[in-house]
Amino acid sequence: MAVDSTPTNDLVQEGTGRLQTIGYVLQAVALLVLVASFALLFEVVDAQSLVAGQSVLTWMGLGFGVLGLGFVAVAGLSRADLVESTPIKSAGVGAGIVYALIGFVVVGLVSSQTLGLQTLWVIPAILAGGLVFLGAVYPREDIGSTLPAAGFMVFAGTTFLTGTIGLDWTWQPIPNGAVFDASMALIVTGFFGGLLGAWTAARAGNGFGSRGRQSGAYLLVSVNAVAMAALLFALVTFVAVRGWAPMTRGIKTGIFWEPVYWFYFQPIQEYVIFQIPGLWFYWPFTMEGAALMNDINGVAPAIIGTFWLVVGAILFAVPLGVGAAVFLTEYAEQGRFTQLVEISTNGLWSTPSIVYGLFGLALLVPRLGNSNSILTGMLVLGFMLLPLVVITSRESLKSVPDEYRDASAALGVSQWQTIKSVVLPAAMPGVITGVILGVGRIAGETAPILLVTGGSPFPSTGADIFDPRFAFTGQFPWVSLNIVNVDPLLQPSSALPYQLYAVISAGLSENLSFAWGTALVLLLVVLGFYAIGIASRAYFRRKLQA
Amino acid sequence: MSTISDRVQIGTGRPSVVSAALAMTIAATVLAFLVVPGLTVYPLVAFMVVAAYGWYAHQEETARSLMFVMTASTVLILALITVYLVVKSIPAFRIMGVDIVLKTNGPFWNPREKLYALFPMIWGTLITTLIAICIAAPLGVAGALFISEIAPRWARELLKPAVEMLAGIPSIVYGFIGFVIINPYMMNELSVSTFGSLIAVGIVIGVMALPTVVSVAEDAIASVPGPMKDGSLALGATNWQTMTDVTIPAAFSGVTAAVLLGVGRAIGETMAATVILGHAQVLPEPLYNVFGNTETLTSLIASQYGIASGSQLSALFAAGVVLFVTVLVISIASQRIEARMKQKLGGEV
Repeated sequence: MAVDSTPTNDLVQEGTGRLQTIGYVLQAVALLVLVASFALLFEVVDAQSLVAGQSVLTWMGLGFGVLGLGFVAVAGLSRADLVESTPIKSAGVGAGIVYALIGFVVVGLVSSQTLGLQTLWVIPAILAGGLVFLGAVYPREDIGSTLPAAGFMVFAGTTFLTGTIGLDWTWQPIPNGAVFDASMALIVTGFFGGLLGAWTAARAGNGFGSRGRQSGAYLLVSVNAVAMAALLFALVTFVAVRGWAPMTRGIKTGIFWEPVYWFYFQPIQEYVIFQIPGLWFYWPFTMEGAALMNDINGVAPAIIGTFWLVVGAILFAVPLGVGAAVFLTEYAEQGRFTQLVEISTNGLWSTPSIVYGLFGLALLVPRLGNSNSILTGMLVLGFMLLPLVVITSRESLKSVPDEYRDASAALGVSQWQTIKSVVLPAAMPGVITGVILGVGRIAGETAPILLVTGGSPFPSTGADIFDPRFAFTGQFPWVSLNIVNVDPLLQPSSALPYQLYAVISAGLSENLSFAWGTALVLLLVVLGFYAIGIASRAYFRRKLQA
Repeated sequence: MSTISDRVQIGTGRPSVVSAALAMTIAATVLAFLVVPGLTVYPLVAFMVVAAYGWYAHQEETARSLMFVMTASTVLILALITVYLVVKSIPAFRIMGVDIVLKTNGPFWNPREKLYALFPMIWGTLITTLIAICIAAPLGVAGALFISEIAPRWARELLKPAVEMLAGIPSIVYGFIGFVIINPYMMNELSVSTFGSLIAVGIVIGVMALPTVVSVAEDAIASVPGPMKDGSLALGATNWQTMTDVTIPAAFSGVTAAVLLGVGRAIGETMAATVILGHAQVLPEPLYNVFGNTETLTSLIASQYGIASGSQLSALFAAGVVLFVTVLVISIASQRIEARMKQKLGGEV
C-alpha cells in the first residue's frame, strides 16, 4: 500500500557548498554534545572528569558556545547572501512554538531561581516566550530559525563556562525533593540542547526552505528510530550480561558408555556387553528447584509452571477464538451482534491484566478448589489470549481471497466443507503466527498469575501433570491408563514471571544473581516465542508473494 | 466484506433440534458453573454428547451453532468480568459512598478503620500515565513515521520486528530493571529520599507503551492511500511536506487511536509500578512532586490482594472497577475514532 517514496533529489540538487560544510560541522558538534549527555547519564564520565585536560563541564560549555557562534555566523552569511541558500519568509509557527517554549522555561528558571522572584516568575517567562516567538516567526527564515537557537546556545555556554552552574552547583526545587547537581543540569541541557542544535544545523546546512525543513525533521526522526533500536539492544544485552553467569553456572556435560545389550557367552564364561556412547547433560539452573541441599538453586518448577499455563491457555483459547473468528467472517451478517462482539473483543484486548486477575479471583478461584491453582491460571491466561486470537484470526481469514470461496462453491461444495478444506488451511499461517505472538505476551504476564496461581516463592519441585502410565490390572477393564494427573492442576504453582517477582519481593540482597538469571531465562522464553512468530510470519508472507 | 452466505444459503434459518439442544445445554453449563459449581459436570457432559451426536449426524449445522456459541463467549466473558467486578466492589462503595473517589484530603487508606479513599491512587495513575504518554506519544508517532515513510527498506525490516520484540519484553523485567537500576540511581544521583518515585515509574511505563503506539500508528499511516501522497509529491512538495500536510492529517484519527491505546496500556500497567513504587497510600507533597512516592490503582491491587479480606478486598475490586471502566471508555473511544478514519478514507483500507 505504501507508496515508494524514494527521494528524487538528484534532479533538484542544488550546490549549497560552503553552507553545507558548516552545517555538517555544527551537526557533528551538536551530536557530540548529545552523546556527552548520554555518557553523563550512564555514568561513563562525570561532570568533573578530565578529558584532554579540561573537565567535561568545560567541554560541553565550549560545545554550546561553538554552536551558538556558528548559528550566528550562518545567519549572517545567509542574510548577506554570501552563501547560497533558499530561505522562505518565516521559520513557521511550529518552530516558533518550540523556541518560545524554550524561552519560557529558561527565563522562568532564571527569574525564579537566580533573581528570586517568587510566583512572579510567570510574568517575565511569558513575556520572554512571546518575544522569542515573534523573533522566530517575524523575520526571514534564515534569521528566525537560527538566532533563537543561537541565543539559547550562547546562554547555556556562558552559564557553564562562567561557573554560574559550576561543579559544586546544586538545586533543590521542592523542599525534601530531588536535588539536581551540575551533572544533572548538563544531562538535561545537553540532551535538549544537542537535539535543538542538530535540528537547527541540519536545517541551516541544507539551505533552509522546504529542503532544510525536511533534513531537520528527518534528522530528529532518525535519531529517535536509532534510539529505539538501541534501547531494545541495550535492554536485552544488559539482562544477558548480568544473567548469563548465574544462568549457566554449573553446567556439566559428558559422554558415558551406555550398555544396550548383553548376554552370557559360555565359551569365555563372561558377559558380553554392547555399549553405545550416551550424552550426559546437566544444567542446574533450569533443571533444579530450590532446596537447602542444592549447590545451585534453579527455576525448573517455574519453567514447568509456565509451560503448563501456556499449554492450558492455548487449548482453551485457540479453538474458541478461531471458531469465533470463522463465525464472524464467514457466517455472520454485519449488524448489531457483530458490532457488539467487535467492541467486546477490543474491550477484552485492552482490559488490564490485573483486572483479569481480580476476575479470576472472584469467579474462578471459589469454584475451582478454592485456592490458587494452575487450572485457574490457565483459564485466566486463556481469557487474555482469546481476544488476540480472535483479532489475528479474523485478519488472516479476511485476507483469504473471495475467489477461493467462490471456486469451491462453484464446484458444489457446501459452505462448511469450503471453510474446513479451503478457507481455514489458507488462513492457517496467519492464525498460527498470531497465536505464537499472543503466547509470547501471556507467557510474560505476571499480575494475573500473582493473584490466581502463585504459591510458594521458592518451590522445590514443579507440577507433575503429564504422567503417562499404562498397566494391566486384575479388575475390569483390566487395563489402567493414566495420561495426566488432575490433582496438581488444582495446586498453586510458580511461573517464570511470578518467580522473578517472588525473588524481588523476598529481598534481593542475597538473591540478586538468581534474579538476573531468572530474568534472562524469562526473556529468552518470551523473546523466543516472538522470534519464532515473527520469523514464521515473514516466511509465510514471502511464500505468499512468490 | 461479503460472506458466501449471501450466495449459497444453506441453513434455512429454521432453528433445528440440535442447535436448540446445544444452546440449552451450554447455557445450563454456564449457569451451573455460576450458581452450583458442583453440578457443572452434568450439563457439560450433556453438551458434549449433543455436540458429538450433532457432529456425526448434522455436521454443517452443528459446526455453525458451535461457532456461534464461541463467538457469544467473548461477549459473555466481558459481561462476566463487568458483573463480578461490580458485585464484589459494592461493599466498598457502600462503606465509602462517593468519597471513595472524591475524598481529596487525608487520611486516605486505613483498612483497620475501613477507610478506603482511592484518590491518591487515581492521582498516582494519572501522573504516571501523563509522564508515560509524554514519552510514548511523540516518540511513538515519530517512530511510526520513520518506519512507514522514511526508512529505507533494510531499516524498516530491522526496526519493525525490533519494535515488536520491545513490546514482548515482560513488564516484570522492566520492573526489575527499574528496581535494581533506576531506583538506586535516583537516590544516588538526585538524592531522592524514598525508594521509588512516580517519575521512574512514568519513564518505564512510557518505554513500555511506546511499541503499542508505534505499531498502531504505523498501521494508520501506512493505510493512507498512495495516490493521495503521489498527488502532493507531483505538485512539487517535498516528502516531509507531504507527510505533514497530507499523510498525517489523513491518518490523524488513526494516530489518535494509537495514542489512546498507549494511554490504555499505561493505565493498566501493573508489575512495573508494583515493583518500583514504595506503596504509600498518600498524596505526593506537593501534588506535582514527580519525585515523590505514592501508589497507582494497579499497584494497590497487586500489593494488597494477599493481605486483604472482607471490605478491604472489596475496596481493591473498587479500584479494579475504576481501572476497568476507564480503560473500556478509552478503548471504545479509540474504536470509534478508528471507524471514522476508515469511513473517511473510503471503505476498506
